[in-house]
Amino acid sequence: MLKSLIEPFRYEKLKLTNESKVKKSSSKVKDWKGTLKRIWGYMSDQKVLFFFVLLMVFISTVLTILGPFLVGKGIDIYIVEKSGNHFFFFFVVLVLIYALHSLSIWLQNIWMIKVAQNTVYKIRSDLFRQFHLLPISFFDQKKTGELMSRMTNDVENVSSTLNSSVIQISSSVLTLIGVVSVMLWMSPFLTIITLIVVPLLVVGMKWITRRTGQLFKEQQRSLGELNGYIEETITGQRIVKTFSQENRVMHEFLEKNERLRRSSFWAQTISGFIPKLMHVLNNLSFTLIAGFGGIFALKGWITIGTIVVFAEYARQFTRPLNDLANQFNTLLSAVAGAERVFDLLDEQAEEADFGEYVQSANIKGDIVFDRVSFSYGEESQTIKNISFHVSPGETVALVGATGAGKTTIINLLARFYEVKEGRILIDGKDISKLRRSELRQAMGFVLQDPFLFHTTIRENIRYGRLDATDEEVEEAAKLANAHSFIKNLPDQYDTIINEGGTSISQGQKQLLSIARAILKNPSILLLDEATSSIDTVTELKIQEALERLMKGRTSFVIAHRLNTIKKADQIFVIQDGRIVEKGSHDKLLEKEGFYFDLVTNQLKPQLKTKDMLSEIKDHI
Amino acid sequence: MKEVASFLKPYRLAVVIALALMLTELTVELVQPLFMAKIVDDGILKRDLSAVVHWGLVMVGVSALAFAAGIINSFFAAHVSQSFGFDIRKVLFGKIQSFSFANYNQFSNSSFITRMTNDVSQVQNTIFMGLRIMLRAPLLVIGGAVMALAVNFTLSFILIVILPCLIFFLLWVMKRAGSMFRIVQEKLDTVNKVIQENLTNMRLIKAFLRNDYEVNRFQKANKDLKDQTIFVLRFMEIMQPVLLFVMNVSILIILWAAHAGPSEAKVGEVVAIVNYSTRIISVLSMLSFIVSGFSRAKASSLRISEVLQTEVKLTDELAESSHQITEGKIEFRSVSFAYPDSAVKVLDDVSFTVNAGETMAVMGATGSGKSTLFNLIPRLYDLEKGAVYIDGFDIRMIKLEHLRRSIGMVPQESLLFTGTVKDNILWGKEDATMEEIIAAAKDAQIHDTILKLPHGYDTLISQKGVNLSGGQKQRISIARALVRKPKILLLDDSTSALDLKTERKLLQALMKYPCTTLIITQKIATAMAADQILLLENGKVLAKGRHDELIRSVPLYQKIYESQYGKDGIRHAQKSY
Repeated sequence: MLKSLIEPFRYEKLKLTNESKVKKSSSKVKDWKGTLKRIWGYMSDQKVLFFFVLLMVFISTVLTILGPFLVGKGIDIYIVEKSGNHFFFFFVVLVLIYALHSLSIWLQNIWMIKVAQNTVYKIRSDLFRQFHLLPISFFDQKKTGELMSRMTNDVENVSSTLNSSVIQISSSVLTLIGVVSVMLWMSPFLTIITLIVVPLLVVGMKWITRRTGQLFKEQQRSLGELNGYIEETITGQRIVKTFSQENRVMHEFLEKNERLRRSSFWAQTISGFIPKLMHVLNNLSFTLIAGFGGIFALKGWITIGTIVVFAEYARQFTRPLNDLANQFNTLLSAVAGAERVFDLLDEQAEEADFGEYVQSANIKGDIVFDRVSFSYGEESQTIKNISFHVSPGETVALVGATGAGKTTIINLLARFYEVKEGRILIDGKDISKLRRSELRQAMGFVLQDPFLFHTTIRENIRYGRLDATDEEVEEAAKLANAHSFIKNLPDQYDTIINEGGTSISQGQKQLLSIARAILKNPSILLLDEATSSIDTVTELKIQEALERLMKGRTSFVIAHRLNTIKKADQIFVIQDGRIVEKGSHDKLLEKEGFYFDLVTNQLKPQLKTKDMLSEIKDHI
Repeated sequence: MKEVASFLKPYRLAVVIALALMLTELTVELVQPLFMAKIVDDGILKRDLSAVVHWGLVMVGVSALAFAAGIINSFFAAHVSQSFGFDIRKVLFGKIQSFSFANYNQFSNSSFITRMTNDVSQVQNTIFMGLRIMLRAPLLVIGGAVMALAVNFTLSFILIVILPCLIFFLLWVMKRAGSMFRIVQEKLDTVNKVIQENLTNMRLIKAFLRNDYEVNRFQKANKDLKDQTIFVLRFMEIMQPVLLFVMNVSILIILWAAHAGPSEAKVGEVVAIVNYSTRIISVLSMLSFIVSGFSRAKASSLRISEVLQTEVKLTDELAESSHQITEGKIEFRSVSFAYPDSAVKVLDDVSFTVNAGETMAVMGATGSGKSTLFNLIPRLYDLEKGAVYIDGFDIRMIKLEHLRRSIGMVPQESLLFTGTVKDNILWGKEDATMEEIIAAAKDAQIHDTILKLPHGYDTLISQKGVNLSGGQKQRISIARALVRKPKILLLDDSTSALDLKTERKLLQALMKYPCTTLIITQKIATAMAADQILLLENGKVLAKGRHDELIRSVPLYQKIYESQYGKDGIRHAQKSY
């Protein structure tokens, strides 16, 4: 009992995390004006509609005042005096006025909904586009769920605010202007006294917003973090389950959940002070009017009637101010959300794709790495001073220990990351100066993780070339040896790949991603462990297809299996980011260096010693 | 709905306090006109300055009281709504953790996420709003009506007719809007799903230059969401104008009644009734705002309940804690299995036994059921036919926690979590010492690599683990399994990204672990070292036995061998045994 009484006051004050602190110092506390301006920018092509919304707000405000005024008159005439003339006319006019009133409210609301939703739609689209413009390295560090949260929770905040606040705020401001002008007209003196509380208000608001601004941002940040955590653990559910780590996950989740609770608690509580403050100040101003009005009246400066009417107006002054204060809350959290969205939009995007235009069909695939070094972060270099030349149509196998830098070479070739030292040439042209889109158009990828989308198998293969016909899709599937297993599925090509991926195996996913690359028909082929999860018998079959595919195309193949490697024109043995050996299978075997080691390791079961070398050469 | 509301129970007292404080505020608000009237009547009109000061002070005092009540209300309302949200998220998350894999297929991942954040926020915001202003609107309406009726029953009779109609109207709107908001949330799920897919598959999308395609796909989902939102909000917007119009016309009718009716209606009464009606009108828009909030919250709480009410079939009710795994002997007895909602039998009458401490290699074509077979051992799915026994106990009779704690699984895709390398290995055993971690890392052949990372074991791994190569990730996930010193080790083709030398060292290191090992592999070399080999084809056991047995008599095995060592290799191999 007692516990629940004190609980609400026992929330720990929030220590802002480093991130929000850094933000604070780097970009002031908040850029209110800038953020609002940008939101306004999104609404700009709907200015006409927006103007009509404001017009309707104006009309409805006027009618809101006019209606009761006429009713008052009606009471005077028809009830007090009981004069029966034109009552019907009066009745009809008022019904019409009220109808118009309702109509204008309805119109302003539905128009505003349209404006708001279109605005949010555009922000979402921009954000999504921005995701596609950002370099891969950006996504390496961000959690999927955290980014999702900006797209939904933060944008949602902006949306609900636009829906409700704009109309409220503008009608409040209008009413306020009206009331203040009437007050000024009646007595400038008393008006000034009424407005004396305004500085107090400003101080109070400043105190509150200085806190809530950060708190709301912190709230949205915690929400994003929580979102990220949920996404990660749900995606990794298999690990959580098999390692029975439910408790640990729960514990970490609760920490984040608690952080969200705390930041929201403070954001809500403190911003909840605003209307209360307003209320007190209003009463104070009313008392002041009465007091000073009394003094003025005693001195004969103003009439008593003026004070009475004025007091009534001061009361009317309250309502819009109250509404404004209430809306201020939502506005605060919306600005916090919008800021997070705009932060993302301001992230450095990949350089615009303005490079030299070389039609992908004309790329032959002559590839040169010229003293290329690269590191992902500030860590040690992943690739150190690599140089090589590959002629069009050649197949290159990259072999070496894991983490040696094989995938990085492919990443750089596709310009997923920009080379920092050295250069990469394709057909003699520096790829950093080529148009990215055409460059990638010329390449076919089978990546290490065979990503598939939550749609049909047919659509997943068609991803390789969107205009491919169903026949072409099936043809590609046949070449990739995927056709037969697809045919065995209940819905065949229309089988939907679900997220858990339970319906098809990892190896089958790889087959599909090979089919996808085949369909694309590229001049450069990049295969990163394309067949690692495929059994060797099936692989043999795909091998044929791949060989057919690789003919006439420059191909980079990362593989651990000898079958795949030995047929390559060149084999690069990579160790610690350097090419330590280069050459054909036969040549490298003769050298008896790193490659020889690798090969003998694979064949060790029967060939235990170097004496067997001759035998290897015989049958390989 | 009810289920979600029950989360408010622990905060009953706080809710009552918040509402009481709100009522205090409301009362002050209602009596304030009285004080104002006093100031005007007793003070200004009578030119009595002391009365002005007196009543003014009373008014400021009372409003200070209201201010205090309001501030405290803020604390309570925020506490209740935030703790409510906290609790729901906690229970939801716990529920999702308890889901079996069959349950996961009922919702998409992104839908879980939307439900846990967006939907919970919707309900939470409504509660917060409710505790601060909700009662005010209905109370003012009812109070106004009662007062009007008390003043002159006949004249305000119309209110008795109109108000219930309006309430029914609001309830109708709320009901319809509820289901419409539900669709909005579903559309939000779809938008979320596209975003999630895009964010996880960004590399692929860039590689295949499908940016425009994806943007279009997103635009469609985005537009759907927009249209549905506009649709439902538009529907909600008929509320306010209709309410206003009806009430305004009612006032006119009251006037008409006063005008045309018998003349005993006093002018003052008419004025009062009109006054009360106008007050009712002024809170009506607040009421429509509340109704809209409630409809949305209702839709969201239904979605939350849906998750909460999902039946988890995979439980360990039958299990007994005396059933302990001590040895790690695995036995499959005529196991058949199809994934939920699928008719295809992935495993068909599979039987085998692996004795404690032995190693069995599982081979077979892609899609032959190898990984599925692995999933059944930690009981990620329940069987329809047959049973899996460990140390002689049907695994359904073993406590899930104990069962899974005895198993170290290394899945095909090496999923790591945000955190340090050490954290990730600690997943295997929360209380592992640094020595244990290092020992596991050494055996997984990753220790040296970890030391070379910028901060060693404290290097942060991002969600996608990009700062590590595929093979490094695999080895960390192997270390994660080894650190728990499992009785049963399941390696699902988890060495595919390793080069041969590392793989060999790894397998050698595994030998010293006294556990039953099942290893899915494509490589004959790995299979040869196993005590037995299980060869699967289309979910059926095609053969089991040692390498030398299979190489002689099983054509498929010969074919696999041939694919790796060539035709001569196989002759050589057959000769040597």
